[in-house]
Amino acid sequence: MSELTLLLLRIAFLAVLWAFVFAIVYALRSDLFGQKVRRMPAPAATPQAAAPAAAPRSAAPAPRPAATPQGPVFATRLVITSGAKEGLEIDLPDEQLTIGRSSDSGLVIRDDYTSTHHARLLKWPDGWVVQDLDSTNGTFLDGNRVIMPTVIPLNTPVRIGTTSFELRR
Amino acid sequence: MTDSPSADARATFTSTIRLKLRQPARLRNLELLLVIFAIAIVLGAVALVQLGATGAIDASVLALVAGLGVLILGMHVTMRIVAPDADPLILPIITVLNGLGIAMIYRIDLADGASGWEAGGIRQIVWTAIAIVIAIGVLIVVRNHRVLQKYRFIAMFSGILLLLLPMLPLIGTEKNGARLWIEIGPFSFQPGELGKVALAIFFAGYLVTARDSLSMVGRKFLGMQLPRARDLGPILVVFAASMLVLVVQRDLGTALLYFGLFLVMLYVATGRSSWIILGLALFGTGAFVASRVLSYVGGRVDAWLDPFNPDNYEAIGGSYQLVQGLFGLANGGLIGTGLGRGRPDITPLAESDYIISALGEELGLVGLFAILGLYLLFVARGFRIGFAGQDDFGRLLGVGLAFVIALQVFVVIGGVTRVIPLTGLTTPFLAAGGSSLVANWIIAALLLRLSDSVRTQPLLVIESDGEPARLVVGQQ
Repeated sequence: MSELTLLLLRIAFLAVLWAFVFAIVYALRSDLFGQKVRRMPAPAATPQAAAPAAAPRSAAPAPRPAATPQGPVFATRLVITSGAKEGLEIDLPDEQLTIGRSSDSGLVIRDDYTSTHHARLLKWPDGWVVQDLDSTNGTFLDGNRVIMPTVIPLNTPVRIGTTSFELRR
Repeated sequence: MTDSPSADARATFTSTIRLKLRQPARLRNLELLLVIFAIAIVLGAVALVQLGATGAIDASVLALVAGLGVLILGMHVTMRIVAPDADPLILPIITVLNGLGIAMIYRIDLADGASGWEAGGIRQIVWTAIAIVIAIGVLIVVRNHRVLQKYRFIAMFSGILLLLLPMLPLIGTEKNGARLWIEIGPFSFQPGELGKVALAIFFAGYLVTARDSLSMVGRKFLGMQLPRARDLGPILVVFAASMLVLVVQRDLGTALLYFGLFLVMLYVATGRSSWIILGLALFGTGAFVASRVLSYVGGRVDAWLDPFNPDNYEAIGGSYQLVQGLFGLANGGLIGTGLGRGRPDITPLAESDYIISALGEELGLVGLFAILGLYLLFVARGFRIGFAGQDDFGRLLGVGLAFVIALQVFVVIGGVTRVIPLTGLTTPFLAAGGSSLVANWIIAALLLRLSDSVRTQPLLVIESDGEPARLVVGQQ
């Protein structure tokens, strides 16, 4: 076996080894860089801004959630109120529910506006809390962008991308 | 308002529909593809070793390695049945790492002229086969990782028992000044390696139940929250026991590993950085005292600080091995001498502690970085599994197991490349040693099991092409 063949084989082996590393990185690219997220188009944003203003009016018995502070009442169900799967409901898990586009989230929402790991719901002593995981388009609780972990009152819409849901007992 | 009719429609919808989505085949097919790629790399590495060292192909060893490939495919098939949603990248990664280790150990056998059961490479192949079979067994038996939480105290006792085993007369044996092995017939085994898995399970199970009291209750001291003694008690007892055993057995690498695991899991469970400060301070004083009091620790530190000093170089247990390893890495340069073409065998223990310098010599910096990249990806998968978990026990266990591998890689490779003083630990999946292979394959199997339960979790999947127009109409 000539030196030249061995040299070529040596370089080829290193190339194949790196090809393997890159094959794996390619397979998990959405984990490393996140899926491509579009910004919400401006025309869609204006009715969004208007909607929260309208929502409290239609849900005029809004004092209801406000009247529950004596001891937290834990929601047990999550109901999709708008978006592709409107009307579906799921039981909330014991501790937390992750929401995002990646398939290991608890609630997978695949639209162009949801980030890979968008938000999560956590069961805190004072009730279910929504935390935004630095998403591109934000998480909106009753029309207000969630900046820090915020308690979700019952029957209050949370919007992520084009999907809204409420927590119910 | 148009709101009321749709609300009625909602109510009828709401109660009935439940959705469960599975897409397992895609993950497993990806894994099959990568596993075949990985086996091809391993066979290529062994063939290159033979070509480089002897100039001819020896089909019998290739056949043995191919047999391992069949076992790996068997594990893949098992996962199709019992863990269809498990992470598809872990198995290919550890296949390549384990295979590169076998190729390099076999290469050192060729240089030493060892053959048959005497040859480390053959033993490594047999141990790999055993480890894969045990990993398959773990996947089949542990169908739900939450079961492990129930056995946390059994895990604690078996962990301590495993650590104590080498102290027993008759079966315990001493090698290179450390009493870590048990010998039964022709087999020697290092039970402390399995102990790390047991302790990770115990820490995770215990911290899940105790973390609230650990992080909330207690008095403040210098701005740090100190926990109550009774909350901390069980952990401190376990920890002190393992430390004592390890110091008596003179195995500092493992002591460091357990300490790191303990700290990180406490930190992840409570989220209090005071633990890290407290732990690092403890570790710093402990290391300083040990380097002054224990002569073998002091020798390691001297060899680390000044390896090329002739006094250290020629001392017994001095820096000779470290320097040989560094010369090997230097000889390899950027792209290495080529598999089978270097002289890694002149470093003592090149097949176990110094396998990284042997691989660095023959694959060069480029190859070494590929190996480090594979470790990085493996650990990153473990942390991802921990991050995505839906229950606290699984999350803690995932992070703990992944961190064990990460810390071990850092301690060994950092020791060989003179970043930190050298401590005796095995390089996960690469180094010769049956017990470490078995333990690491069990870790991989547990991570696969965890990732499977994580991925079966999606409660609901909402697919939409995201036409904002539809949303606007719906809202008005």
